[in-house]
Amino acid sequence: MRESTAHVEGPESIAECELVAHTHGLAAGLGAALAGVDAAAAPGRVAALPAARVAPGATVIPHRMADLEGISFVRSQSAATVSAEERTAVGARLGAVRLGIVRRLADRAVEHLTARVAGGEPTVRKQLVLATIADLVAETEALRRRLMVAAAVASAVADAHERLTVLGWEAAKLFGASGYLVDGPARGAYVSRLAANCWVVPESGAR
Amino acid sequence: MTGRDLDPALLELRDVCRQIADDLRSRALAVDADPDDASRHLDAPSLALLRTASTPKRFRQDDLPLRIAEYTDSCLARAVANVELARGDAGILSANTGPSLAGLAIDALGDEAQQELFYRALADGRTWTFFAMTEPGRGSDATAMKTRLERDPDVGHRLTGVKRYVANAARGSIGVVYARTGPSALSIRAALVTCPAPGFTGRPLEMIGLRGARFGEMSFDGVHVPEDMVLGRHLPASQRGIWGAGRAFNLMRVQIAAQALGVAFAICDYVCEQRPGAPGAELVRARLDAARELLYDIAVAVDRAPTDPRPPSIVKLHTTALAVELTRWAERALGPGSLLEHPLLEKWSRDVCAFEFMDGTGNILRLHIAPDTAPVRED
Repeated sequence: MRESTAHVEGPESIAECELVAHTHGLAAGLGAALAGVDAAAAPGRVAALPAARVAPGATVIPHRMADLEGISFVRSQSAATVSAEERTAVGARLGAVRLGIVRRLADRAVEHLTARVAGGEPTVRKQLVLATIADLVAETEALRRRLMVAAAVASAVADAHERLTVLGWEAAKLFGASGYLVDGPARGAYVSRLAANCWVVPESGAR
Repeated sequence: MTGRDLDPALLELRDVCRQIADDLRSRALAVDADPDDASRHLDAPSLALLRTASTPKRFRQDDLPLRIAEYTDSCLARAVANVELARGDAGILSANTGPSLAGLAIDALGDEAQQELFYRALADGRTWTFFAMTEPGRGSDATAMKTRLERDPDVGHRLTGVKRYVANAARGSIGVVYARTGPSALSIRAALVTCPAPGFTGRPLEMIGLRGARFGEMSFDGVHVPEDMVLGRHLPASQRGIWGAGRAFNLMRVQIAAQALGVAFAICDYVCEQRPGAPGAELVRARLDAARELLYDIAVAVDRAPTDPRPPSIVKLHTTALAVELTRWAERALGPGSLLEHPLLEKWSRDVCAFEFMDGTGNILRLHIAPDTAPVRED
């Protein structure tokens, strides 16, 4: 699998997208994932773009949290113009972006829970918390390899996105209610889910 | 499906709540977009009816249709009603005035005069209430509470501390605030507090979902609390604080579980309407029906044993996770761009996450559910 698909979506671009998102956030990551791709390539009628890339006159669907993340949702004016292979490649790169966002969130969760005390010990030492963090680490590692070796397999990419939605939620829960603030740490993970909803065709979503 | 046969009164309650749900749905997106404008919905007959129905019978100002009058009679009635109401929309439910969670605490801990004061204050239909337990940095760990209720010989008590993620924090006029009078767990007490008051400030926090609740922060800087506003004075010492409110917490958890399930039903209904024959719909419907059976069984268990925290924890853990999971199924079923093209679906995807944080996170619930000791080995 690795040999047959690496030329379609090289591990380098996957790693780069993850790094950009982890370091600079969602808008920068999405920009990297969509290099050379415009809104018309979206599989549905809405495309997620970095706000800076929205064309003048485009119809934008307002969304408060997306605005704060520097992401815009624009109505796609024409039918998708890219092949299924290219679309899957975009999905794989966007998966890497979301991997970076989830890791960024998990890093902040560990900092947050290390500083917090419950029952006389740092909350991060609680077994239920440790289990969640361990699962997050293990699955992000596994998903990175999946995106590298199966970047051309549409079902594998679509399923990776669903798993990333789950992981984003699991990481957000570690913050308690502060993870539910619009200005809180989990906003990027939620908006990244919306971005994926625009760019990735789910397995049972073909109509 | 085969399942529980509700008695005729509960079936009627369910049916009237289903009718109200249509009106709630029609207001859902407006409240989400502008939760500060919730007051313009308060005169809606549906919300007025729910306010009265959630008020104990002896404090009701208006007569109610018999069909909804049973709302406060049992945990099962609340469960039946809340599934159907949240199937309309949970966000507008949280924007309504009325006793809400504070009412359950007042019912459990308030003496006759305190209950009278609380419910008479709500009679105008424009009064929001608050239930302030959670604190910044301490989450659901009530025993780590820092807010102090200190005796002041001149005025009774002074309340000092900060509460966070409290519904109606800035707009509430009366409610319940938990604080400690000393270092021990038994010294955690509840007080009936009215706002505005000297030393009090409230501010809303912008939350991702369930925005109608207007969660926020409350700061108390030596707020005067007269002696007769301290709750539980007429109860034995062991029942005055958080343990005395055990039944109230259990009712809250079942009610929140019911609302999570109601939103999950709404998501399923919506997907099936938009895409008849959606893949997985049959399985989803079966899981929802089973979750409703669990909810009803546990509501009956709470009516029989009101202070056992385990059953409500089980159902809240399950229905919250199920609702969150169903948002992902809806995304799959409706395809690319679905969350942006279906604003209700996007809103519900945010709303369901709120239930995780309300009255015990999943991990707190797990600690209630898991047995304290290893199973006994049977030889």
